[in-house]
Amino acid sequence: MSDEAVIVGAEIVAGHDGSAELVVRLRHPNGTEAPVVLDEVTGLKLMKNCGASHVDDLTGQSWRRIVEGS
Amino acid sequence: MFDLIVRNGLLVDGSGAPAYLGDVGVKDGKITALGKVEGEARRIVEAKGRVVAPGFIDPHTHFDVQLLWDGAARPALEHGVTCVIPGNCSLSLAPLKAADRQRVVGMFQQIEEMPPAAFTEAFDWTWEDFAGYRAAIEKSLSINVAPLVGHSVIRLWVMGPAAQERAATPAEIVAMQDMLRECLRAGAVGLSTSFVDVDENGRPVPSRFAQFDELDALCAVLGEFGRMLQCVPEFYDTDLTIARIDQLSDLSLKHAIPTTFSPVFDNTATPNNVPRTMARVEEQFARGARVWPQMQTRPIDISFSLLRPSLFFARLPRWVRILRQPLEQRLAALRDPDTVEKMVADLGPDGGARMMGRLIVRGGDAAPEAIVGRTLSEIAKARGEAPALALINLSLENGLDVAFLSANAGHEVTERIGPMLAHPLVHIGASDGGAHIASFSTYGDTGYLFSEFVRGSGALTLEQAVRKITAETADIWGLKDRGRLAAGQAADIVVFDAETIGRGEERPVFDMPGEGMRYVRGAAGIDTVLVNGEVAYAAGAYTDAKSGVVCV
Repeated sequence: MSDEAVIVGAEIVAGHDGSAELVVRLRHPNGTEAPVVLDEVTGLKLMKNCGASHVDDLTGQSWRRIVEGS
Repeated sequence: MFDLIVRNGLLVDGSGAPAYLGDVGVKDGKITALGKVEGEARRIVEAKGRVVAPGFIDPHTHFDVQLLWDGAARPALEHGVTCVIPGNCSLSLAPLKAADRQRVVGMFQQIEEMPPAAFTEAFDWTWEDFAGYRAAIEKSLSINVAPLVGHSVIRLWVMGPAAQERAATPAEIVAMQDMLRECLRAGAVGLSTSFVDVDENGRPVPSRFAQFDELDALCAVLGEFGRMLQCVPEFYDTDLTIARIDQLSDLSLKHAIPTTFSPVFDNTATPNNVPRTMARVEEQFARGARVWPQMQTRPIDISFSLLRPSLFFARLPRWVRILRQPLEQRLAALRDPDTVEKMVADLGPDGGARMMGRLIVRGGDAAPEAIVGRTLSEIAKARGEAPALALINLSLENGLDVAFLSANAGHEVTERIGPMLAHPLVHIGASDGGAHIASFSTYGDTGYLFSEFVRGSGALTLEQAVRKITAETADIWGLKDRGRLAAGQAADIVVFDAETIGRGEERPVFDMPGEGMRYVRGAAGIDTVLVNGEVAYAAGAYTDAKSGVVCV
């Protein structure tokens, strides 16, 4: 098990402002999982930071990639 | 002699009690008789076969600017809304020093998406203080207004540019308290704050720089008046939202004030969000706190164009790679036949029919009028193209400035949303009327409540639905003579057809100052709307009545 939170899934959802947003599911070191909703700009930046061109490519990435360069 | 009698209607009085047949007598702007009303009147409104209910109250709007040139907050009033609460999310147009106007205009433009002309051509800035703003809008109100004052503008008034840089000093907090007190005396219905919003440069709005002691001190002033604290919590994270619920609850208990927060909405990807939020709300209400979650009725749509990258394509790797390129390279790629062939092939053998076929061309941009409102499937069929190819070609033909709508993409599962709306602690609201005007329509949520959740799923009875958006709202906000059909109450009345009340199709209109565009929805099934006893809307048209007031 990783000693930091990792992304274990991601899904596209509708955001409050009418844009598409990204829900990433994080698994924490203690085994719990929780969703984090990223707005469109942050979600696109995460995909770029991870070199991902499909939401499934985010699986296994560190939570740190979400805040990278922000 | 009555001024007006509404005759022979099915009276749904806002209390939740069973509907009954009767009349409503009105005199001097008040309801003076109910039931079988004898006597004459200067005007009769025939309501046979129609529901007669208190006017609806919309507790979360951003009509602050629009009210300066449109006292009806169109199209809110034609939907049966007789009272709006602007000034949400920490932003109001007063108190505001002349030197700070441009800074706040930027924040408003970020939220409302109004064109610059709305702030430079449509009205004269005649005020700095809250009383001055109130006087400016009161000149021509057709709808009632219970305005909030924004924490961000109070902070800006006291601290100047430092409001977006640091915590306040004790002296500055006292000055903010004094200003809030002045605003409440001048007619503010409460204070709004935000932990989320940003200005046009992406910087946090001033309220987000406040430490807890500042918010606590401001709530102490709200407590002197028993007024509302409205808050936008970190709604993108359930745990943070729950932490804010606890904070709001402590403030509610300590200062004996009501609090409300929004948005709260449901997504299939985060199915536990609303249940967990509501569980904490129930716990806090059990402690005696008043912490009302506001939930919208309408589903959330996704809109996008190829002008900017969108996560809508995040399951199509090639599309993601191409659309995140700078504009020139993006255009070159979209004009390359080989690339486009591969992009279309990525959608599979149906050419995108399943994923894109139901997209709707929105209009209000460069889209040709003839295709506005049509589905991509229809357009593709007419063009003899696969839907994905039609999307690309349509975009290219119009400088990429064609907006597509993926309807009902969130908060859309009626079987889940209905019981949530019916929950006794859910405050129906969060319409955002007057905001996001260039992105989607924020009007018609009340009609949708009746069409989808009363007539459709039956999650609420007619009486329950009316109560939710009339008496219950008035009670939550402390609007003492609103929200009920009862003797002595203000004669804010809506006459509607229970079988047809609903919201119209979303459409672009260019009625903002400077010919600015916004999306609106017309009303269905609304016959007549009375504001303080005067007919403000009837038979599909607005009247000249200017009977709206600041109703705090």
